[in-house]
Formats: sequence, C-alpha cells, structure tokens
Amino acid sequence: MLAQLQPYIVTSWHGHRNEPDIPDAVKTVWRWKFQPPRGGGIPRRQSNVDLALLNSEGVVVHTFDAARNEQYGRRGTLQQYTAGELRRAVPFLGLENKPVKERSVKLPDLNGERGIRLLVSLRDNRMLAYRAPVVEVVPMTKDDWKPLAWPDKERTVPPNALKPWLSQIYPPGVMERTNPQTKVVYAIKATEGDLKLTPLKQEGEERQAILRGVVRLTDEGPGDFSHQGILEILLTYRKGEASPHSMRGYFNGLYPRNDRMHRDIRWLPLQAAIESIPD
Amino acid sequence: MYIFPMKRFALYFFSLLLAGFVTAEDAGVKRILARYQAIRPAAKDLGMYRLDWANSLDEALKRAAKENRPVCLIIIHAKYGDIASGHC
Repeated sequence: MLAQLQPYIVTSWHGHRNEPDIPDAVKTVWRWKFQPPRGGGIPRRQSNVDLALLNSEGVVVHTFDAARNEQYGRRGTLQQYTAGELRRAVPFLGLENKPVKERSVKLPDLNGERGIRLLVSLRDNRMLAYRAPVVEVVPMTKDDWKPLAWPDKERTVPPNALKPWLSQIYPPGVMERTNPQTKVVYAIKATEGDLKLTPLKQEGEERQAILRGVVRLTDEGPGDFSHQGILEILLTYRKGEASPHSMRGYFNGLYPRNDRMHRDIRWLPLQAAIESIPD
Repeated sequence: MYIFPMKRFALYFFSLLLAGFVTAEDAGVKRILARYQAIRPAAKDLGMYRLDWANSLDEALKRAAKENRPVCLIIIHAKYGDIASGHC
C-alpha cells in the first residue's frame, strides 16, 4: 500500500460540516458521503475518515471511506481494502506502468533549527492502531537548553524546566483523556519528579553527562490523571561549551488506560525515544 | 624501582577502583544508547514518513499542478487532529 501511495502528494484536512471554508474537494466527498441511501432504508455504517484521490488539476477522481470494509477488524483486511481502492483510481490518474521509486524515511524536523524530537509509542496489544509511533518536534531556544547546561558536579534538574518537550509524552487517540465538549486532548499541565544531571569523564574534545530519574506527567483534565516513567538521557557537550551539543535517551513508563468493558485499568507500556535535532 | 608493598597495594587497589568507575560509566552510557535504539521505532514502523507530505491542501494542489502529480487527501470529520504527528 505504501508503494501505491508513492506517486501522490499526501495531505490532510479536518473539520465539521458547519465550517465556513470547506475546500471544494471536501464538499464533493461529503456530498456523496452524506446523501441519503437510494430507495430509503438505513444508511450504511461509515467512519469519520475518508480518502479522496485528486488528479493534478484538483479534480476528485475517486473517494472511499477509510474504514468501510465488510471484514473490518480482521488483521490485514483494511490494508487489502485500501490497496484495492487505490488500484481503482490508477487508470484515471495515468499511473499505469509508471515506475515507483520508494522514498526513504524523512522524519519531521525544524528545517535546520535546533530542537528535540520525540518518537512516542503506546504498546497496546488490543488496539493495534495506537501502536503507530507519534513523532513530535519541539524547537529549543538558548534559554530552553540552560537547565541542561554542563554540570561541574551532580545537580538536580526541576522537571518543570523540561516541560516544553516532556509534555509531548502521551499516547495518540486516547479518547477518555479528551475534553468531551471541545474534543481537544487534555494537555500535560504539570511535570514533576526527581531528576539528577551527573557529569561523566571527559573524552578528547567531548564530555558527557547523564540526566536520570523518574518523572510524573499530569494532564489538565479531571481526576488528577497522571502517568509516569523513568527518564534517562545521555548529553554530549563540546569542550569549553556549557550548552549540550547533542542528546539521546528514552522515557520508559506505564500509561493507565481505562478498560470500559471490564471496568478496570490496563497499564500499558508508554515509551519514547528522545533525540536532539539536527543530528 | 622498589615500591613499599602497602603502597603498591594501595596503588593497585586505586587503579582497580578507577577502572571500576570507568567501566560503570561506560556501561551506563552503553545501556542508555542501547535502550534508546531499542525503543526508537524501526524504519518499517515509520512508513507514513516515506510519503511525500504537503502541509495543506492548498500547498498540495499548487505542487500537483506544477509537478503533474496526483493528490491523496485524507479528510477527517472532526474538529481536531494532527495526522502528521499522530497526536490526534
């Protein structure tokens, strides 16, 4: 399926039917999607995600519900269904016999500006879609790096000083932590814990330090909801420079997910690889 | 050079201690980097970043016309959702 999408420029749009500026392509898709069933009867079940395939002039040549599949839920069938729908558009887009050159992975970055990238994964064995990694990039100013400045001796780092990027460590699509009125995900409001920054030996032109400890992240929603984990990060400093040159590390924690069916809480591993950018 | 046995023992003990610290530091560094690599998703799990993304439909349409290429538009019937990062 990824190979089939290589010729396309991919983009997304989100909104409701009462939005003031709905693009023409979306209007076309929704006119079809929300029309009453022919001959009356009960409308078919449909998801809230559609794919529209447009030619180079912006004309919709094919559209389909991203999850309307008769065998939805069976492993692999959604990919087969999507691949089948993409094939249907091939003759209308002149994509027959066009060689497909697969791109290499290009992760989000800050166009050369300095920052931190987090690759967050929720290890949920029941909801496979939530296992897909989330990739966030956070720009860092000189002041943002100051709490991680070279430590001549071990010192405590307040987790709140790292909140701009620690607050990105939460899973995707966890609907129970969304404001029911606004549908906006509850943001992380507090980062607490005990973090120590410890200098290591100097090697050649570089020196290293380790940031290590436990952090607890509490969101702004009701119930004082929080999750926590171990944070370990290796920071590298150039000789004579106080600000870190690079960092690599991880967060390894547990996320308490509501199990409505069993009226219980499932503790799911929530992990994040953390790295400075550019490399 | 003759070194007094006690002094020699102290020197030996000190170098062992130092070696121990170095090893512990190195092990800590290696462990963090190994854990980072293990947690970081592999290229096969980052398939959506193999696609040619445009930041908006407007940008996609402009590029499509210029590059004579089709557009795949993902329409989400919801008020919020950042499909590029996955936090939606």
